[in-house]
Amino acid sequence: MNAALFATVCLIAACGLIYELVAGALASYVLGDSITQFSTVIGTYLFAMGIGSWLSRFIVRGVVSRFVMIELIVGVVGGFSALLLFLVFTWTSAFRPVLYGVVSLIGILVGLEIPLLMRILKDRFSFKDVVANVLTFDYVGALGASLLFPLFLVPRLGLVRSALAFGLVNVLVALWSTYLFRDELPQRRGLQFASLFAALLLGAGLWKGQTITTLAEEGLYADPVILARDTRYQRIVLTSWKDDLRLYLNGHLQFASRDEYRYHEALVHPGLAALPKAAKVLVLGGGDGLAVREILKHPGVEDITLVDLDEGMTELFTSHARLTPLNDGALSDPRVRVINADAFVWLDQHTGTFDFIVIDFPDPSNYHVGKLYTSAFYRLVRQHLASDGFIAVQSTSPLFARQSFWSIVATLQGAGLRTYPYHVYVPSFGEWGFVIAGTVPYQPPHTLPDGLRYLTVAGVPALFDFPADMQPVPAEPNRLNNQVLVRYYEREWAAINR
Amino acid sequence: MTGGSRREFLRQLMAAAAMAMPLRGASAVPGAPALHGLTPKGRVITGGFADPDMAVGHALRDATLPRAGRAPRRRTRVAIVGGGVSGLSAGWHLDALGERDWLLLELSAEPGGNSRAGENAITRYPWGAHYLPLPAPDAVHVRQLLREVGVLHADGSFDERTLCHTPQERLWQHGQWHEGLEPLDAAPAWERAEWERFDAQVAAWRETGAFRVPMAGAPFDTPTALNATRALDGITGEAWLSANGYRSPTLRWWLEYGTRDDYGASLSQVSAWAAAHYFAGRPADEDGPLTWPEGNAFLVQHLARKAGDRVITSAPTVAIEASGSRWLVHTPRAVVECDVVIWAAPLFVLPRVLSGATPPVTTEYAPWVVANVTLDRRPRERGAVLAWDNVIYGSRSLGYVSATHQSLAQPRDETVWTWYHAVVDRPALEARRWLELRPWTEWRDEILADLHRAHPDIAECVSRVDVWRWGHAMARPVPGLLRRTQALSEWRPAPRVVLAHADLSGLSIFEEAQWQGVRAATDAARLLGGA
Repeated sequence: MNAALFATVCLIAACGLIYELVAGALASYVLGDSITQFSTVIGTYLFAMGIGSWLSRFIVRGVVSRFVMIELIVGVVGGFSALLLFLVFTWTSAFRPVLYGVVSLIGILVGLEIPLLMRILKDRFSFKDVVANVLTFDYVGALGASLLFPLFLVPRLGLVRSALAFGLVNVLVALWSTYLFRDELPQRRGLQFASLFAALLLGAGLWKGQTITTLAEEGLYADPVILARDTRYQRIVLTSWKDDLRLYLNGHLQFASRDEYRYHEALVHPGLAALPKAAKVLVLGGGDGLAVREILKHPGVEDITLVDLDEGMTELFTSHARLTPLNDGALSDPRVRVINADAFVWLDQHTGTFDFIVIDFPDPSNYHVGKLYTSAFYRLVRQHLASDGFIAVQSTSPLFARQSFWSIVATLQGAGLRTYPYHVYVPSFGEWGFVIAGTVPYQPPHTLPDGLRYLTVAGVPALFDFPADMQPVPAEPNRLNNQVLVRYYEREWAAINR
Repeated sequence: MTGGSRREFLRQLMAAAAMAMPLRGASAVPGAPALHGLTPKGRVITGGFADPDMAVGHALRDATLPRAGRAPRRRTRVAIVGGGVSGLSAGWHLDALGERDWLLLELSAEPGGNSRAGENAITRYPWGAHYLPLPAPDAVHVRQLLREVGVLHADGSFDERTLCHTPQERLWQHGQWHEGLEPLDAAPAWERAEWERFDAQVAAWRETGAFRVPMAGAPFDTPTALNATRALDGITGEAWLSANGYRSPTLRWWLEYGTRDDYGASLSQVSAWAAAHYFAGRPADEDGPLTWPEGNAFLVQHLARKAGDRVITSAPTVAIEASGSRWLVHTPRAVVECDVVIWAAPLFVLPRVLSGATPPVTTEYAPWVVANVTLDRRPRERGAVLAWDNVIYGSRSLGYVSATHQSLAQPRDETVWTWYHAVVDRPALEARRWLELRPWTEWRDEILADLHRAHPDIAECVSRVDVWRWGHAMARPVPGLLRRTQALSEWRPAPRVVLAHADLSGLSIFEEAQWQGVRAATDAARLLGGA
């Protein structure tokens, strides 16, 4: 009996601490600045526990049944807390109020537990034993939880499932308590039913719903997932580790905030800086606004049209507090017009020419995206290019997908364009390739805009030199009716992917 | 974990999920969810018969259609009866010959014949013929038409957007989709050897030069080439395979798929010559075919636009009568007086409207069913991704074609699949009666049960099933094809009545229909010139 009682104390303490750690960790993931998040979450939680302890004096009768009820509520609220917070963060802008509200509620309930338990035990043991044992096991439970959390729970279960699992433990403790204190609970049927129901609810939460995708993602991505959203076209996942944000579309890395400037400067400036009179620029894809940020560094540019399929993507990068600093609010600039349309269809249905066209699509990993790398597509793009303008195309890695890269070059040539392939090293991607294409000869620029972190005037011509292991290999042009590029790409990445 | 093993793991996971899926519906018949138009989730699948002409056709047969009463007589030089590919091509070529004074009478509300199309909020979709193989260099008329519509460029290349996009074909076999149509994934060595032997045979047939598209391009007057293959026309495809020791079930399935698809005939029905033509009449490797969301309606609508108001629709020809040296073509809407009639409708109709014009040979017609299945979401998939032509191994149907395949846009949830079925399992006459009586609900259930084999959740994705019954879809090339073709080419039903229809070739393909139309236009112009 005694052992059972103190095991209960141990578990309750562990649960309470887990909820606190989950809230703190989650807030650090999504908001960054972990010192502030952990401090405020712990402070709020402890203060709320104090409120709970103080409130316990107002519970006079039915202490045991109140205790079991509180266990139940803590189990359900704490268990679903991580899921709730993720959803709130993803779908609303009220994350902080909900965070501190949930932390306060759990704190108050956990604060009620220990005083009530002490009062239940006061008739069985002497006062000094009650205090000593309860507090001892409380701290033992806390130690267990604090070790379990980083070593096992987060790596194995992830935040959402950790919280749910401990919610379940809490509810099972409640159920067990109805048995332990059966003498003081003549009418315990209702409590038992409620416990079973709560256990079912948490069990279902463990198996179903968001949990699974979130968990799957936390397993898939190296870093904690702070945002996951299914738009009509793709799954957008944002992960965060320290100050590095990474964006994945359907599981493919699009950029890492730590080094994306190398990629985007290389995509835009070698082509655009060579066109001092360029005023109208078109960006196809690139809904993250990072290429637009670079284009806006050219004072002569008056008008930027961004055509991206996914309004979910452009909305996030127009308004999300963690994302707009990355593109300096480029998508809200008055010179920028954002159009959510299918690039192929939009080009087909609109007229008008541009001095510079940036093509920044995901890699050609399937036939659907592969269409946007075909000679039919480039011919259409060419119709929208000013006679002395240039196109800059992101063209996957000439090192890892060498034949794919040179196939894109061959495709552009097949569409009647002169090509100027080049490459750059982006640490999170590796060697990355681009192609400048146009109907007139290209000369590297003599000046570059201010505020660049990577490119230098002297360095640009060097980008066009390909070391021996990236030099041209024979490759077919990619056409709608052969899609050779997708086959090259699949074969080449399959050979090196781990 | 390597990339390969992670992918393998996911594949196993998906396979396990897919195997678990059908269990729920597996209690009764396969495909049971659709049996009453309600899926397990209570989704109602709407639709009905879309074929508008069955009643008109029967009234024509029963001679109950009225003639135009006091409608004004319209005078023209040439009346073309029938607005399918052959009739429209006849008008197209008359124009090319400088003879613009012609009228075309079409039974249906719109021209196009087998190449008609429908449209809904999602896409246009075909009701019949839906692609065109790349024409050989000497198929001058097909190439001329393709130049007109901008598909064949001056440099001899074909418009990339119109060439069937990759992936072109996939086959459902052994529980998953495979790229390509040849069911060779698990075929044993002896079967593969038969496939190779057949490939060599096709190459040898191709060498003879006897198999040309259109057929008229073949050197019929240099009999050596043709005579070498003429013996094939005396037997069925089935008999030829047995006589030559072909036993491979996968090869036989694949061959029959081809003959059902092009000719509406099983191997035991088709002339071995026609079957050989299907394989040997095209180059071994080609970039095609050409295809459009609306199928070959793209081509006939171009012809109809050029014809303008010379096409009179909803005008079934009920009688053709001589009036002096001219003809009167009677329809319920109008009476057309002309010098020459080009008969571009099915041959079996001709004796009903022109007395005494009974063809010297009979033609067997294949019944077909084409359904357009509207999906508001994509079913779960296993194996190769959705292609243009999607075929289920061992199915009675010919599978389905995705109408949105040629779309340049990124894929959406909604689409339309065109499901094809040539009725070859019963005598043609009985099959037509069956088509007439069978309720739509049975088609809906059969179609969903067919698709269910490859897509367990299909019933939850489909919102509409529209069905078109083609009673006389095409002339079926049964043995004796060359003899019948010869007899028909020599037959003159009446003075100044010229025949133009794919029935004359016995192979119901665009190139034959167009060729017959062009030839009839040439003959008609010659008659007018002589008159």
